[in-house]
Amino acid sequence: MRREDVQPLLLQAADQLPEPELADAAWTAGVRVSRRRRRTVVISVIAFIALAILASILIGVGTSGNADITPPTTPPGYIEASGKISGIDYWVAPPPGSERFLDRLETPLGDRLELPHKVRPLAKHTLDDIAAVVLVKQDDRYRPLLLGADGSWAQADVSLGAVGGEEPLSSGAISPDGRVAAFPQPAELVTVNASTAEIAHFPLPEGAFRSVSWVADGQRVLISGPSSAYQVVVGEIANGERAVLPIPATKDPDEVTAPYRIQTGAVLRYVVDGQWSDDSPLTLPVRSWQGQTMSSNSAAARVFIAEDLPEVPTRVSQPQVVAAISTLRTLPSRLLVLGEPQDSPPTYEGAGDRPFVREAGCCVVLGWYDDNNVLFRVHGWVLAWNLDSGRVRRVTEMGVDQVALGPGLRL
Amino acid sequence: MHDTVDPDFASFVDARQGRWLRTAYLVYGDLHRAEELLLRAFTQLSVRWTRVDDPDAFVQRQLYQPALRPWNRAKPFPDEEDPVKLALAELTPAQRTVFVLLHLEELTEFEVSELLGLSHTAVHAHGMSAFGRFRTAMGAGDWRDAR
Repeated sequence: MRREDVQPLLLQAADQLPEPELADAAWTAGVRVSRRRRRTVVISVIAFIALAILASILIGVGTSGNADITPPTTPPGYIEASGKISGIDYWVAPPPGSERFLDRLETPLGDRLELPHKVRPLAKHTLDDIAAVVLVKQDDRYRPLLLGADGSWAQADVSLGAVGGEEPLSSGAISPDGRVAAFPQPAELVTVNASTAEIAHFPLPEGAFRSVSWVADGQRVLISGPSSAYQVVVGEIANGERAVLPIPATKDPDEVTAPYRIQTGAVLRYVVDGQWSDDSPLTLPVRSWQGQTMSSNSAAARVFIAEDLPEVPTRVSQPQVVAAISTLRTLPSRLLVLGEPQDSPPTYEGAGDRPFVREAGCCVVLGWYDDNNVLFRVHGWVLAWNLDSGRVRRVTEMGVDQVALGPGLRL
Repeated sequence: MHDTVDPDFASFVDARQGRWLRTAYLVYGDLHRAEELLLRAFTQLSVRWTRVDDPDAFVQRQLYQPALRPWNRAKPFPDEEDPVKLALAELTPAQRTVFVLLHLEELTEFEVSELLGLSHTAVHAHGMSAFGRFRTAMGAGDWRDAR
């Protein structure tokens, strides 16, 4: 068989097939397919639009349901206020003995504030920004030790005497710019400029001065004792201004402060030349005030011993409260009630610190870390209270009796 | 696409449907299947009638490429006694497709390879082996005697 013989055989094999008529059938089927495809496209477009609308509705529903995960209006770690005292929100501080277990606020003070082993003279090691001032006792005299923002210590070449049998260190000793520390002395005011090591003495009329407070401009100091108080210009004297100006004294030397002073019934703002004006009324259940008023840009803070508080009952001590009173109308004032040990009478089983009762006078406001954090001293500790979150953190353990804090604390 | 058949399309189909039905019948060994595939190929062509450049190649690809699919396992020419059909039934689907296209449609090996998507070597091998087996099945001796 040759190749040419194959085709006739194949033609013969397929010869008997009927003649098809496929043109009409194919065209009709094509029309049907074409319409089906067009219908499929239309349905797909409609389905896509419907799905898009459904998805947008679901996203809208999901978004409205996600209100809880939108950025919170409260800061991280926010603690709800425990209630209100005289219409002001209050929080209750962690009880005594628990300070060591609080979160820490980092400052140049370190974990424990102690007198340093090695101190350089301030004349050889000047400081730009004072973080803290402590006094070291030598015989009956005191020498100021200045802690810089870099954590280094320097000793000022000045000898200070006790005032009223106590250390001549006031909470408001450090100037607003952190360069100068002021110390009350009998019949004089002593300033130490940390950046130049310059010591200045400002003679005053006789008086047992115990408290100093800087005016916000950093050029004037209010110095007060139980019977007399003065405004002393330590910077440049304006025309016609008196270098030492008598101002109204109060029985409590710590009450004379600037730029704000908190006292029973009102918050006062220091205007000029020993004049204060009413800033806002204040109704709190105060028995007595403790320490000085320390001010930030937006609030003033002071500790008071309260009358019995039904909101926070105490068993062995009178309740003490840190009052942070807002000096801006838009911000709320807040209170921090210093707690008592959890059990009565306090017992100590080794864990943590001995739970001292916070007796009257143990606790004062030392200053501000920033506009949100008040620094205050309790028994053996310096703590920081964040006004935004209500949290209390430990700053340092006190290895010294007294300390004044300055703006150099901020790292 | 109009409901009434395009005259050019009708002329195209009328001119080729008989020949392609016979070829498809021999490729698939089943008249019903051949008709069905041919109708499907013409239907596909009708949908693209104005857009297809080479309608002949388009229809032939649609018509013959399914024969090479691996699942194309239907036994060809069942209940047939014609020796030519029985000889074709002896071939594999690929051999039968190539053989029919080479000898009935008188396409070249290059045309067949392009139509079926096979290499020219594969088409040549299928063609040679198909011819040998066809000869043997027809009782015409060894394929090496052929010219």
